[in-house]
Amino acid sequence: MPGSSAAGALAPLPAPRSAEQALTGAATVADMEASARPASALDAARLALLRDLQLAFRRRAQLVQPLAFFAMVTMLFPLAISPELARLREIAPGVLWVAALLASLLALEFLFRDDAHDGTLEQYALSGQSLTALMFAKTAAHWLLTGLPLALMAPLAALSLGASAAAIPGIVVAVAVGSVALSLIGSIGAALTLGIKRSGALLSLLTLPLSMPVLIFGARATQLAIGGASFLAPLELLGALAVLGVTLAPLAAAAAVRISLE
Amino acid sequence: MRAFFDMGGYAAFVWPAYAVTLAVVILNIVWARRALVRARAEARRRLDVRAGEKS
Amino acid sequence: MTWTWFHRLGSPPYVYALAERLTPWFAWPAALLIVGGLWGGLVLAPPDYQQGDGFRIIYVHAPSAWMSLMVYTTMAVAAAVGLIWRMKVAHAVAASCAPIGASFTFAALVTGALWGQPMWGTYWEWDPRLTSELVLLFLYLGYMGLRAGIEDTQRADRASAVLAVVGVVNVPIIHYSVTWWNSLHQAPSVMRLDKPTIPASMLVPLLMMLLGFTLYFAAILLVRLRAEILSRERAASWIRAEVFAT
Repeated sequence: MPGSSAAGALAPLPAPRSAEQALTGAATVADMEASARPASALDAARLALLRDLQLAFRRRAQLVQPLAFFAMVTMLFPLAISPELARLREIAPGVLWVAALLASLLALEFLFRDDAHDGTLEQYALSGQSLTALMFAKTAAHWLLTGLPLALMAPLAALSLGASAAAIPGIVVAVAVGSVALSLIGSIGAALTLGIKRSGALLSLLTLPLSMPVLIFGARATQLAIGGASFLAPLELLGALAVLGVTLAPLAAAAAVRISLE
Repeated sequence: MRAFFDMGGYAAFVWPAYAVTLAVVILNIVWARRALVRARAEARRRLDVRAGEKS
Repeated sequence: MTWTWFHRLGSPPYVYALAERLTPWFAWPAALLIVGGLWGGLVLAPPDYQQGDGFRIIYVHAPSAWMSLMVYTTMAVAAAVGLIWRMKVAHAVAASCAPIGASFTFAALVTGALWGQPMWGTYWEWDPRLTSELVLLFLYLGYMGLRAGIEDTQRADRASAVLAVVGVVNVPIIHYSVTWWNSLHQAPSVMRLDKPTIPASMLVPLLMMLLGFTLYFAAILLVRLRAEILSRERAASWIRAEVFAT
């Protein structure tokens, strides 16, 4: 069970502290022993977050993929349906959110993959630190690397589908909040399917049903924003989903990770 | 009798609905019983293999 | 209060024998109630003043929808028990529930569509109740898919149990969706705390069907549970006696 013993015998893997260590990507055993001091769950979470961000920046190309996918999917609809901006404006909210949902599904693949592969996840589980806090940190890093860029890209997609510039702030906020919920919901499915080969379809089957409320409220908020009306009501519901996710998802993900690592 | 099957004009909706539900009810019975039969055969085979190994 | 009965339920041979003994006690009353309910609903009940004879779909739609929710809740509770107390039998119960629940969710959606077309003019609407019932179907399929995807039985049990528990939030959403949102679906007329609004001649067959289906579920579950237990107990000695005594 995810405990939160502040006096864990081993600190979790500390973030790389020097350039050489940053290049090697993982702390050495000596490193772990050297910093063997009890750390709080907050410290552990912060270190995990920084580590994920630093590792991700080493592989910047990988970060671009979900965003490119998002742009491509958005592009497909005008080609398939109609290039008329008037018609596109009607379907823009839906297109935006379906594309965002699919892109975040794609990005979920690398939430746990590398850490499960090189044993870091096991270290996290064995470290005596709160696995829930570490799951939250990993998901937060994941959102900063995928959800937030998605939220910043969404206005471009919306503009290309006929939305007016006045809608941009609303769209950014809605996608930003909604993608928080999506990352959290997705982390549960990703944790459950750890190590299952070719789990892409199964991950979608697990994640999409639970993501539907986010899709519904997000599209509604975007629709209202494009129409120039107040989108506060669906935005608040999106926020509620995100908060619910923050409180429950890391717990479920931690339980799922422990089960997957047994 | 005619009136019964006609269901006040809604026959095209009522009877398929009952048919689908009946099908699911029967399917579950068949499924479950087949699962049990298969599990028993499996268990028998496993035990036979083990008995064969031991002797 | 002694908990011995609970601990006894953790023993596969005990549960197997109990399941075998109990099955007919659920199966026959279920059959009687369902046949009686069908008779009452199709023949005896008068036509509805608004929907005519079309309303009779309720006698298959409501039980199917009830099954889809009740079975999922049972599955989630069993999964939680299995997770918390690490009881293999509880996990076996959860596994046995899934196919039953999925098939009746499908039946609920189909019978609902067939009822919706003449009454609302459409087979399908993306309103909250229908959408969340569809989500329930995907949750069942995801549960079964996850189980199938993990080879190790213990890990499959525990992973799918987490999924079942996470997904149970959908059940109250489905039930309360018609009161929380303006929905195409009608507000609850039976599952209310005050008096139900439908007349007895229509209500009694409905209650018979609901109870009958519940007992039917118990019977099917017990049969599947026996199959699950057999396939999980590798070569325990009690199986030898059980399986070779035809």
